[in-house]
Amino acid sequence: MTESKTLTGSSLLFEVLKDHGVQHVFGYPGGAIMPIYDALYDSDVKHFLCRHEQGAAFSAVGYARAAGTVGVCFATSGPGATNLITGLADALADSIPIVAITGQVPTAAMGSDAFQEIDIFGLSLACTKHSFQVTDINELEKVLHQAFEIALEGRHGPVLVDIPKDVQLAEVTQRLDKLSHLRNKVKLPLADISKALDLLTHAKQPILYVGGGVGMANAVEEVRQFAEKTGMPSVSTLKGLGAINPDNENYLGMLGMHGTKAANIAVQESDLLVVVGARFDDRVTGKLDEFAPNAKVIHFDIDTAEINKRRTADAAILGDLKGNLPLLTTDLEISVWQQRLQQMKTDFTWRYDHPGDNIFAPAVLKTVSDLMPSNTCVTTDVGQHQMWAAQHMAFNDPSNFLTSAGMGTMGFGLPAAIGAQISRPHDTVIAVSGDGSIMMNIQELATIKRYQIPVKIVLIDNAKLGMVRQWQDLFFDGRLSETDLSDNPDFVMLSRAFDIKSQKITKKSEIKAAVEEMLDHDGPYLLQVKIDAAENVWPLVPPNTANDKMMEGV
Amino acid sequence: MNAMTLNMYQLVIMADDKQVVLERILQVTRYRGFLINAMNAEVNTGNNVATITMTVSSERPISLLVDQINKLIDIKSVKVDNSEVQIQQYSA
Repeated sequence: MTESKTLTGSSLLFEVLKDHGVQHVFGYPGGAIMPIYDALYDSDVKHFLCRHEQGAAFSAVGYARAAGTVGVCFATSGPGATNLITGLADALADSIPIVAITGQVPTAAMGSDAFQEIDIFGLSLACTKHSFQVTDINELEKVLHQAFEIALEGRHGPVLVDIPKDVQLAEVTQRLDKLSHLRNKVKLPLADISKALDLLTHAKQPILYVGGGVGMANAVEEVRQFAEKTGMPSVSTLKGLGAINPDNENYLGMLGMHGTKAANIAVQESDLLVVVGARFDDRVTGKLDEFAPNAKVIHFDIDTAEINKRRTADAAILGDLKGNLPLLTTDLEISVWQQRLQQMKTDFTWRYDHPGDNIFAPAVLKTVSDLMPSNTCVTTDVGQHQMWAAQHMAFNDPSNFLTSAGMGTMGFGLPAAIGAQISRPHDTVIAVSGDGSIMMNIQELATIKRYQIPVKIVLIDNAKLGMVRQWQDLFFDGRLSETDLSDNPDFVMLSRAFDIKSQKITKKSEIKAAVEEMLDHDGPYLLQVKIDAAENVWPLVPPNTANDKMMEGV
Repeated sequence: MNAMTLNMYQLVIMADDKQVVLERILQVTRYRGFLINAMNAEVNTGNNVATITMTVSSERPISLLVDQINKLIDIKSVKVDNSEVQIQQYSA
């Protein structure tokens, strides 16, 4: 222990936040976290009052993903804490480092069904990387430091620290020595790449399969260099988008359920998959038994549990991708394969010449992508607009495309954009949303208003829960059940109620001028884009089907 | 009746004696598709290390569970203490 200074638990929390460079926090106050909010009053940390704890959690996630740091959120006990859970689950599924601080009823009241008491510690087990409940003020500092370490070590993830009110008020007289809290780091074995090199040099049709772990490992440059030096054709998962330079001639786009035809066919025909920071998610593989049936697998990952979980690896390389992948760089004789896939990429390129005057959503998103500044950060919600954004927008870094990939959480996009904009005040941030998703956290327009956060919102509006409607049409005999949203509010009027400039467009001739106006506007802006309710996302690999048996429109 | 072949394994888990470590192990075991057939937990108060022995069964390979338990922060080691034993479980 060092320094002799009396601090309350609440003040100590802000000292530790300062130690970890935390400048911004998202949260919502309440009874059991009042001492922390009282200490906030004297703190240098800037707090953003969200209008729902779920919004606070997603803002912390957006902040962490956009800036490559830890996001922090606060909530009170009981309903405040339970409202964080979806955000924690989202962060766990996408391996996002956030630290959630929850107030708890005083230790003497715990277990008595007290007002606003819930066992958030117990509830957190399935939706956090780790969690703590601090019942002794002398443990608080160590736990808080460990929360930040755990969130960032190995595969990133969310950590919850539950602090009873009496611990927030209790006093401690000394701080810890700087190193006394450190956990013993897990030492990963040195990579043995000899087997992987042997597989690679014998491959005739290899594919580089890039996942979200690349961005999390800060290995974008290494992966790009590997792709360039080997000339290996590459595909990306939803969360890996941005890792490969979209202009790379051997890059085939996203694979999986709504992947490009070229990417899916290439993977199915490959004889070797070099998998970097990806996990053979079911939305990627389609029918697992028929996924890349002739391919050997070299799997790079930081998480032992992902190796052989869904697909057996012929060579597994565990550890830091940044250091390990360059070891595999070698010359390949694959020009026939490259040329074939480049031709396929040309043959199956996207088309935007949609007939009629109505707006074709992919064309809007392509226009936004073409006109937005180069380091724009785009967030999405979940549904058709999300897949269209993934297909038709180009990103030059994974931190510029924030989407709820693993959990698929509607309501993610708007608060995540708020967090992203706070972390990157000089970059343009665009939230692409749908008329179903945006209503899930619509209250965050008030957060935008309060802090005048200049987020641009592109609202793709088909007055439907579009993706569910699409599946009902295709796979449930057109029996449309609870997917009509034609009684949505007037989004332009709603935006204006929050002092957010807005415009609605309905014809394709209006697209370019409207997008330019939105991007040129200094403050927040909502562009409502009315599209045909019957529009579907293509291609589509039906559930439990091999990826080369995709539907391309009916 | 459908016959399902389950493999049975005994795990020996060493863990820091921390809050909810048992709950964490139970939650992961259930979620990853393993049934718990027997369990014993003891704490060495001298070094605050808990030893948990657990017999589990599943159709799934035990490596899936071992890797997931190993990821829990308070776990020191997980060992599979016997070779698998196959049992038949019948369901209507």
